[in-house]
Amino acid sequence: MLDNKKKMGDFFTRFDKLSERVEGMYALGRRPFGMTFDQMLSPTRARVGNTEVILAGTNNYLGLTFSDECREAAKAAIDAHGTATTGSRLANGTYAEHVALEDDLRHFFGTAAAIVFTTGYQANLAAISALVGRGDHLFIDADSHACIYDASRLCDAETIRFRHNSPEDLARRLARLPEDGARLVVIEGLYSMLGDVAPVAEFVEVAHAHGAMILVDEAHSIGCYGDHGRGLCQAEGVTDEVDFITGTFSKSFASIGGFCVSRHAGLEMTRLVSRPYLFTASGSPANVATARAALAVMAADDSRRTALWDRARQLHAGLTAAGYVPASPPGPIIAVERPDELTAVREWNALLNAGIYVNIAVPPATPQAKSLLRLSVSAAHGVDEINRIIAAFKGLSRAAA
Amino acid sequence: MNPDRTAIFDRVAAILKAHAKEDIPITADLRIAADLAIDSVEMFDLVMEIEDLYDISFPIEEASAIDTVGSLVDAISRLSNA
Repeated sequence: MLDNKKKMGDFFTRFDKLSERVEGMYALGRRPFGMTFDQMLSPTRARVGNTEVILAGTNNYLGLTFSDECREAAKAAIDAHGTATTGSRLANGTYAEHVALEDDLRHFFGTAAAIVFTTGYQANLAAISALVGRGDHLFIDADSHACIYDASRLCDAETIRFRHNSPEDLARRLARLPEDGARLVVIEGLYSMLGDVAPVAEFVEVAHAHGAMILVDEAHSIGCYGDHGRGLCQAEGVTDEVDFITGTFSKSFASIGGFCVSRHAGLEMTRLVSRPYLFTASGSPANVATARAALAVMAADDSRRTALWDRARQLHAGLTAAGYVPASPPGPIIAVERPDELTAVREWNALLNAGIYVNIAVPPATPQAKSLLRLSVSAAHGVDEINRIIAAFKGLSRAAA
Repeated sequence: MNPDRTAIFDRVAAILKAHAKEDIPITADLRIAADLAIDSVEMFDLVMEIEDLYDISFPIEEASAIDTVGSLVDAISRLSNA
């Protein structure tokens, strides 16, 4: 029988170079990609094997994952509605809670429309790919998240990339193209890798001056910036002018899912054409209820956000005093560039051995092919925990000296 | 190669040389990713430089389809005359 089989193509040889690269990293200790946490103990603590580590790379900005409000909401939702919706929003997957969450978001942002998606990745994919089509142009920041690049692949519009955080560069590129067809500018609020912030108001002005609408992805900035965490657009006073704001429930909202809100009621129609909205199951009852509970906490009480900023300033100052150069001013994301990838992996292991988990970020996921140790701060971090993180970094420089 | 194409080729070769990780002479049939070790992200950065140099709009969808140095020169020539 074997003789009749044709030789099959090998899909895996294309990974040979990548495999060689990661083997070099894995030889230095624990595997930094897809590391397993054996038990989560709190928003800032986990058990890895027999060791308890302080978590300094979770995007759990408000630290709500273990809050009574979110846990109780999730448990109650499972008891009331079951574990899953087993269907698309357009078919059997829209429950009263999905609609209520959309109402909550409209009220929170003061917008005309809101749509909830199953993941944050899908929020950008869904909104962008449904808005622009053949003959239109999409303008994206060069440092955009992968989901924005993937959205550009999913639609028939042509995509022009502009220099990171440069409204002047965007203006030049907008001016180059004749104004036929619709144009959408996409930026992020807080950039995940380096923790830098977009000049949102300037971008809004440039986009509108050139007949373009603007979408701001506030995945990382909602919860952290603006009154009660309403985001960078609100902090800069342009929520009423920005055309679309997208976000995720997987960071400050302590859940999973995503959303798009808009001052344009027309966004509603995209429900009927947006493939990442239509052809997937809706968010589970527990996830939706958790996002609602987190939003209620944010709206009622701004103290977690204050704590987040206190800890962010403490960590930023401590790392700076220890001789590190954070990539951006103090904020919820603090990244330090390392000389090369293997140094970053070695230090990541040393930090883990000292009981501190941080993220490691390497090309092509990073701007300018940087190798980064990336930390994110949580409102749940205690002053002592931040001090231990700083001490571990001091230990690194001592070991290298 | 007409004079326009030659001029484009010379400028593109200089840009590619600055980005390339392999120090080899730039020829039209050289593959940008495989032979010069310029990855897709660097290619997009390079496209922004080219856009500014020629004052053209070079969509990333077109950039993704480019394989060789020659096809990059062709694309610039086409977009410049559009």
